[in-house]
Amino acid sequence: MFSWFGKVSFVPYSKVSDFAVHLKDGRLMGSKCKKCGYQTMPPVADCPACMSGEFEFVEYSGKGTLYTWTRIDAAPTGFDDEVPYALAVVDMEGGGRMVGWFGDTIKEEQIKIGMEVQLVPQIFDETEEIKVYYTVEQPGTTWGKAPPPHLG
Amino acid sequence: MDLGLQGKGAIVTGGSLGIGTAVALELAREGCNVAVNYRRHDTEAKQVVAEIVKMGQKGMAVQADVSSYDDAQKMVEKVVEEFGHLDIMVCNAGITWDGVIWKMTEKQWDQVIAVNLKGYFNYNKAAALVFKDQKYGKIVNISSINGMRGKFGQANYAASKGGEIAMSKSLARELGRFNVNVNVVAPGMVLTDMMEAIPPEFKNKAMAETVVGRFATPEDCAHLVAFLCSDLSRHVTGEVIKIDGGQYI
Amino acid sequence: MSRVGVIGIGHGRFGRRSDATVQELAFEAFRAAMEDGGIERDALSATVIAAVPEYHKQRSVAGVVQEYLNLNPLPSWLTEVACASGSAAIRTAWMAIQSGLHPVVAVIGCQKMTELSTAEILALMGRVGEVQWESVFGTTFPGYYAMFATRHMHEFGTTREQLLQVAVKNHHYGAMNENALFRKEITIEKALASDPVATPFCVYDCCANADGAAVMILAEESRAKELRKDGKIVWLDGLGCATASMSVLKRENLVGLPSAKDAAEQAYRMAEVKPGDIKVADVHDCFTIAELMAYEDLGFCEKGRGGKFIEEKRSYIGGDVAVNVDGGLKSKGHPIGATGVSMAYEIVRQLRGECGKRQVPNADIGLTHNVGGIGQYCFVNVYRRD
Repeated sequence: MFSWFGKVSFVPYSKVSDFAVHLKDGRLMGSKCKKCGYQTMPPVADCPACMSGEFEFVEYSGKGTLYTWTRIDAAPTGFDDEVPYALAVVDMEGGGRMVGWFGDTIKEEQIKIGMEVQLVPQIFDETEEIKVYYTVEQPGTTWGKAPPPHLG
Repeated sequence: MDLGLQGKGAIVTGGSLGIGTAVALELAREGCNVAVNYRRHDTEAKQVVAEIVKMGQKGMAVQADVSSYDDAQKMVEKVVEEFGHLDIMVCNAGITWDGVIWKMTEKQWDQVIAVNLKGYFNYNKAAALVFKDQKYGKIVNISSINGMRGKFGQANYAASKGGEIAMSKSLARELGRFNVNVNVVAPGMVLTDMMEAIPPEFKNKAMAETVVGRFATPEDCAHLVAFLCSDLSRHVTGEVIKIDGGQYI
Repeated sequence: MSRVGVIGIGHGRFGRRSDATVQELAFEAFRAAMEDGGIERDALSATVIAAVPEYHKQRSVAGVVQEYLNLNPLPSWLTEVACASGSAAIRTAWMAIQSGLHPVVAVIGCQKMTELSTAEILALMGRVGEVQWESVFGTTFPGYYAMFATRHMHEFGTTREQLLQVAVKNHHYGAMNENALFRKEITIEKALASDPVATPFCVYDCCANADGAAVMILAEESRAKELRKDGKIVWLDGLGCATASMSVLKRENLVGLPSAKDAAEQAYRMAEVKPGDIKVADVHDCFTIAELMAYEDLGFCEKGRGGKFIEEKRSYIGGDVAVNVDGGLKSKGHPIGATGVSMAYEIVRQLRGECGKRQVPNADIGLTHNVGGIGQYCFVNVYRRD
């Protein structure tokens, strides 16, 4: 359900909806074109390189480098209770670029363009329905990993 | 069926007697490290720990009044430290103190609510903090069919047992996204010490209610609890499973 | 291919126009343009209307404007590419004229932004970027440009003061423009003390929403010479247009707008001019950094030297090229559908020598640079007075 993704969702469905499902399970997914191998994050169903519609998800490490950032002091509707919040634009190891919130492990004074960061999946814990997102943290920060289920 | 409980860490409240002991031993048999708490029965508690250790697992007995919020927190922290992790919380400690409402004292009410309902809150909460973070956990709260119906002279017990059920459903909703299951096991009459105090005519009445013509043993309950602590039941949450031989259909 | 000339221009007052509807605003500018050109309605062949629909309660704005201006049954349609809508309408009109289908076309840029409640505006504000991967984290329009500014400051050493000098310059000239929203000079100190919006921007780094309209009437060369009796025709000789990705996640860098660079190259080539030939320009200063990047993207200075360019006053009247001497978006306000046409209005008047205190001496070649959104669209037009 793509509507799980983000504080406010404007997109209920997408061909890459499972990105949100994987995020709930603590996995950051990019996409890889089955035809030409073009890989990127965020995932895309229709290959920009060869126009094929055949893709598969590939798990990313979440490691990246900070390209630029800003702190939002005037928020749009739906984000008034989060303001101020700092947004990071991160070049991802594995290809692609993502935007997200800085998390608790990075204080504003520590932000430096070019710093190594780690994207970590998160679950909003006070929403009625399941909502997921990710934060940009110091390298080495981990998501509490659930063990794989034992199914007898 | 392999329940896959090897190496898991578990707490069973009220583990020195009856259902609690059976659950603790069953989990140990399945490979868990088990910690039990007890209020007065330290000898019995130590006995349970000894049997757990004999099975090759780690065991621990902690004295704690389940109605103490801080004690619950401390016990969970201690278990996580000793066992390395906590995966299972079974709340079972409970008391009765029956009486018709026009004679029921304030203390009678408060005590049963504190031990039964607040006690489950204390341990559920302490466990939830751990489970939410690690994105894994199994909570089984042992209620009673008498939390689903109203027995004569049990306003306090019914309130506490009914409350445990509603609370568990709420928790199932909150914790589901973190891969934590919260379920209720609701026994009918079980052959335990608590049953000693019941007069024979009530026991017979209960027997007549069952469709199988017998009472549950603590082991019957333990099997169901163990299943609910396993990943085989990972899709069961917010559920109430009666184990009453058809006593209340 | 024959030339396309501007034979009439009109501009209304930009601001919080709670005194008028969008069609009434359009009429103000339309009347002025027709009077300026000395033309009657029957001279027109078609209209192209620029307005961004989501800010209006009236659906299909083009229809109500066409009706109110009494232009039925002339052909008409809307063009919309966010803040570049006005220039898109101009390009469309140019194409319609060159095709031979419509020899005289009125381009009507009109916009109301104050019909929506604050909450509605704030909700729209969050959807400027790419909504699937970016808006979910509460990105905003100032936030995006702020990210450009942060990177530009990191790569080139651009300073806060250099950014705010754009605001200071544009307010200086806007104070002399009776159509502008803000007509007071400001200081760097006052600007630095204003409320933060998105690091490193504060209120004075950002343009304001506004209501307003501007109209331009274009004609094919021979019709232009017939209709415009005084011969003061400004020719639209160079047009450039390019797009870039909607999502900033897909751009190669965030220190310039590739669509602006591409569009400028096309326009210069078509008009057979070089950046140094441009005497006066109106660029898209939605945020201070946008003007500095425009100097670079348009080739007025080298990449990264935009801050120095304004610090050395090279974009003031008397400098290398006079930029935004009508106040720019910063001082005029930014009624998004109208802005592109408002830019053209200023350049045409400069090339005609009608700008009084703000006149750029010997202005013979002028340029407009109109960006849609965060640079997903850019239109650059070069105008010439013979």
